[in-house]
Amino acid sequence: MSPSSSVRIALAGNPNVGKTSIFNGLTGARHKVGNYAGVTVELREGHVRPEHAHGRLLTLLDLPGTYSLTPVAEDEAVAFRALTGSVGAPPDVVLLVLDAANLGRNLYLALQLLEQGRPLAIALNMVDVAAAAGLHIDPTRLGALLGVPIVATVGRTGQGLSELVEAALRALEAGPAAPALALRQRLLAPPDPGEPLASALAQLPEIDPARARALLGARAAGTLDLLALGPDERRIAERIAEPLAIAAAAELVCARYREVDQILAGLGLAEHTFEGAPAMGTSERIDRLLTHPVLGLVVFVGVMALLFTSIFAWAEPLMGQIELAITWLSGQTKDTLGPGLFTDLLTEGVIAGVGNVLVFIPQIALLFLLLGLLEDSGYMARAAFLIDRLMARVGLHGKAFVPLLSGYACAIPAILGARTISSFKDRLVTILMIPYMSCSARLPIYVLLISAFFEGDRDVGPFTLGGLVLLGMYALSTFSAIAIGALYKRTILRSPTPPLVLELPPYRLPRLRNTLLQVYDRTGDFVREAGTVILAMTIVLWALLSFPKPPEPDARATATTEQVAPEPDAAIVTSIGGRVGRAIEPILEPMGQDWRVGIAILGSFAAREVMVSTLGLVYGIEGADDDDRPLREALRGARDPDGAPRYTPLSALALMVFYVYACLCMSTIAVVRRETRSWRWPLFMFVSMTALAYLAAVLVYQVGHLLGFS
Amino acid sequence: MTHPDPSPHSSPRMPSHTLAELSPGRAARVLEVTGQDNLRLRLLEMGFVPGTLVRIVKRAPFGDPLELRVRGGHISLRRAEAARIGVEPA
Repeated sequence: MSPSSSVRIALAGNPNVGKTSIFNGLTGARHKVGNYAGVTVELREGHVRPEHAHGRLLTLLDLPGTYSLTPVAEDEAVAFRALTGSVGAPPDVVLLVLDAANLGRNLYLALQLLEQGRPLAIALNMVDVAAAAGLHIDPTRLGALLGVPIVATVGRTGQGLSELVEAALRALEAGPAAPALALRQRLLAPPDPGEPLASALAQLPEIDPARARALLGARAAGTLDLLALGPDERRIAERIAEPLAIAAAAELVCARYREVDQILAGLGLAEHTFEGAPAMGTSERIDRLLTHPVLGLVVFVGVMALLFTSIFAWAEPLMGQIELAITWLSGQTKDTLGPGLFTDLLTEGVIAGVGNVLVFIPQIALLFLLLGLLEDSGYMARAAFLIDRLMARVGLHGKAFVPLLSGYACAIPAILGARTISSFKDRLVTILMIPYMSCSARLPIYVLLISAFFEGDRDVGPFTLGGLVLLGMYALSTFSAIAIGALYKRTILRSPTPPLVLELPPYRLPRLRNTLLQVYDRTGDFVREAGTVILAMTIVLWALLSFPKPPEPDARATATTEQVAPEPDAAIVTSIGGRVGRAIEPILEPMGQDWRVGIAILGSFAAREVMVSTLGLVYGIEGADDDDRPLREALRGARDPDGAPRYTPLSALALMVFYVYACLCMSTIAVVRRETRSWRWPLFMFVSMTALAYLAAVLVYQVGHLLGFS
Repeated sequence: MTHPDPSPHSSPRMPSHTLAELSPGRAARVLEVTGQDNLRLRLLEMGFVPGTLVRIVKRAPFGDPLELRVRGGHISLRRAEAARIGVEPA
């Protein structure tokens, strides 16, 4: 290979071994996040910085952190496919990051990589942590045992990075050394006859031995479809009965671990060295508090309250600033261009749409920042450990708790936060549950209706009536989310409760820089992928609520004459949206609503809280979103032609229940499309939630009526 | 990792307990992982191979899952999963 040609290096390693620090150190954190069809796992790719690259053009591909290459789940499958070249070009050399303090399990992946036969170099990372724990691992000795170039690194400080690249190039140019070849030969040796492995491999004679072992693993895990195999290979692999494949794959795992134990013995690491390793001593001491039966739960509630407050309250000022900036920009545009259709398109369509995207950024960035820091510190694994028992009752993993909780603030960051769940089905169940959680955008609607139709301040025991109704809405939303999750887990997304098998890594100080880079990547992804859809929907919605224009002079003329009640905003009433609102009145009547509420419901598709200002416009009240008192009065005083009140406490309750369930949020739909990479699930979510909302609201109104309430 | 029986295949012993039955603080040696699904594979790959020493560190506040120490790392398993691992107390 000529020194000028480009080299592709894949970075592999277990989770929590400091792979990200090494990737950021080598590339200077300039990278792109790869999007592979059908894959939700993030794959980053970047060029090695010139000061580390030894005059070569080196591309570094960051594989997902995995414990093995056996495709038990999507992460391993992506790593395997990237290594074997079924996505993109196969890497020229693999750089494996090992945690020096956790070789007992980390070496397993090393042996699987040796088995696959790609040129391999090793970063023995966190040698400082291991040394502090009394584990002195000699890199030279380990390199000699494995027959692989190896460099001791400290990812945090960048120690050993240049030597690491040199080692990778050496591995590429020199090829495997004798011990590596011998290891590979032992791993690929024909198995003992009579054992399941022998019978299984006998059915794959036409396949290369290393590839055959990988296929056996995938067949055993039931994930052949994750490997993007050719039809021939797939047919051959499917010949093997699954129980046989499992027994054979188990034999392979044990054989690899026997080699691991040999290497550990060669390093002088006896079993008791691991048993008493004081590094975990520190972590175990911290865990005495953080996973304590009582205090641990107190801390858990505190941390969750902090997470929740951050997206509920801390993001608020920033969101206010963004809204102010958008209003200012909109005003400037109006002043500069003068009134007109184009101005409206620009201000109420484009600028408002950009605002609808930007306004989520504070919440998304804050949630990912805190989640990233907690994940990096090792606490997220403990949080899942603490709460798993309760989540398992719904059939979910402990990791689903945080996204669900975040849903009370806003579904958008919550749905993005569900990425930590590795099983796609379980992630989807969680994503479908989140919009049922009563988000903060529903609050202004509850407040308007409660204060208009219930004596909010009336004392009911130690509570107020308003408080109790509000609590009821939150209880209904929580109960419904859990019931929906349990239902989907048993029907359309049926899958067993995912096994926990969760590593509790040692506590570490989180690395702010890595986390900030991740926040930047993910926020950017939201703006690009979901933002464009939100922008387009805002423009469409604006058009629906603006066209056709009312006959201007007449409408204005009547509006200026003296009237007892303010006139409705003519534009919204005569628009397509307004006409649809009128047309659906018969459908809304069973839930106790009229066409005015119909228009407000359509308007709130932009975001639920827009319902208040839209209903205000229909009643000719400007700025109801800032001060809803005039609107409250208008709603309370509204009379039908026969003199009966147009709305009652019962119809208000039905409308609130409607808003608990209805998926009136185009941003949620855009984000679900991004996360599931199809329109199927967001459409399913919209239709099912809206249908449920309608049925529930009709039920409340009709049953209430029968019971004599009004 | 050295263990007293270098070839667990030669004299298969019947496990007297499962990992789920041991109380916190106890240690045991893995004899087998049962079952016919990919959980068996995952448990083996996480290091619960026959011959390996495992210590029960603690139970989560609601009694489940368990925290286990295996091969120098800490892994959490639900009791239902730990019940798949046949052991003999060490």
